[in-house]
Amino acid sequence: MKLQHHIGGLEGLDPINFETKVFVEPWEKRIFGIHTAMMALSNHLGESRPNYPIGQVPTQFKSFWTWGHLRMGAEGMNPFEYFRLRYYEKWLGGISGFFVEEGYITQEELDARTAQYLEDSEAAPLPSGGDPAIDDQLLKYLTEGDSPLRPSTDTPKFSLGDRVRVKQVLSGDHTRLPGHIRGRAAEVVKVYEGAFTYFFPTADGIGTPMPVYSLAFKATDLWNKALTDDNMVYYNDIFEVYLEAL
Amino acid sequence: MSSAHEHPKADIALRVKAIESLLVEKGIVEPAALDTIIDAYEHRIGPHSGARIVAKAWTDPAFKQRLLADGTGAIAELGLTGFSSEHMVVVENTPAVHNLIVCTLCSCYPWAILGLPPTWYKSFAYRSRAVIDPRSVLQEFGLEISEQVEVRVWDSNADLRYLVLPERPAGTEGMTEEQLSVLVTRNAMIGTAKVDSPKSERVASEAAP
Repeated sequence: MKLQHHIGGLEGLDPINFETKVFVEPWEKRIFGIHTAMMALSNHLGESRPNYPIGQVPTQFKSFWTWGHLRMGAEGMNPFEYFRLRYYEKWLGGISGFFVEEGYITQEELDARTAQYLEDSEAAPLPSGGDPAIDDQLLKYLTEGDSPLRPSTDTPKFSLGDRVRVKQVLSGDHTRLPGHIRGRAAEVVKVYEGAFTYFFPTADGIGTPMPVYSLAFKATDLWNKALTDDNMVYYNDIFEVYLEAL
Repeated sequence: MSSAHEHPKADIALRVKAIESLLVEKGIVEPAALDTIIDAYEHRIGPHSGARIVAKAWTDPAFKQRLLADGTGAIAELGLTGFSSEHMVVVENTPAVHNLIVCTLCSCYPWAILGLPPTWYKSFAYRSRAVIDPRSVLQEFGLEISEQVEVRVWDSNADLRYLVLPERPAGTEGMTEEQLSVLVTRNAMIGTAKVDSPKSERVASEAAP
């Protein structure tokens, strides 16, 4: 069991901390910007919906990078590290590791540059500037996105009103199925039109276009009555491969 | 890396600076491009877009009907779709139903409509507790939801993103779409708040001919 997949319903957590800021520390903006730029320049966007002229964008970034890659990195962490690190610190780890793995930079270079800044935070000031063609692609991406919706090829297996059971899948490196609904029964309350792909195939079966269903779970079918309440319904959108007939 | 534990904050900032400077040197990342993205989310993309949608739904019944039936299509009419909001579902609060949005697996959120999620939305406490005991979470936000009201919790794990259509508050009759949109808060569109009635003196002055 990967603890990262079982956040829903954990007991013993604190009251909500009402930090409303989006970025708490200035460095969080920079790592957020790097991640979003990587997604907006990812090499898969030439074949996405919409398809971007990504081959003509003058960037040295030539890799495949999506939400899926960032999430997979967080899910692959030691769970106690996952809980210890700040939100954007997890992004930093995943992104640094990716650039080293893909050969854009070496770990030695990164360690040396970090040590240099540790000694003198003003050493090697960041240059400014850039190619406006890259900005154009980023802004186009923020406006048009990267839709996973594809024409549907097969008839959905389940219909509105069907009772289904969520499978007990082996998550592998990455999943979109949270732990607290595995094995539980639910009702199909909507069959979304079309088929939804995922950024890449996962070991637990998403990544080819398939129907997605809105499922309704009675809270008391998920949780002990003493911990939840009768007058609550929990909804989740679930890929077809995660479901079986009840 | 051993020093990481001695000066955690300073060290993270420097680690980010180190990777950014290397990526810039190698032409992988352009500082201007990062500034463009950060500026877009700090100044241009934010909950005011969602508030426009809500205010329009309050004043235009045909739009509201389309919005609830096909969120994506209705939001596209206003030109407000975008990255991380490609497919939208809008859920309506009523006297009998209160809706709440969460993402237990990560932090999925309708970026183009509400901007980036606030820190509390990404916290373990919120992600964990909202799906099992939403009423107590809402109480911490100062919102008492009676036991007679059904609470619906929407967990965003596939690629649908959610927006709560809050109830239009009393005392707003005669207000324009633009005036209404100012009342709509980010939390009201996540479901952790209701939209308050405008302050009485403001209604008085705005209702005056």
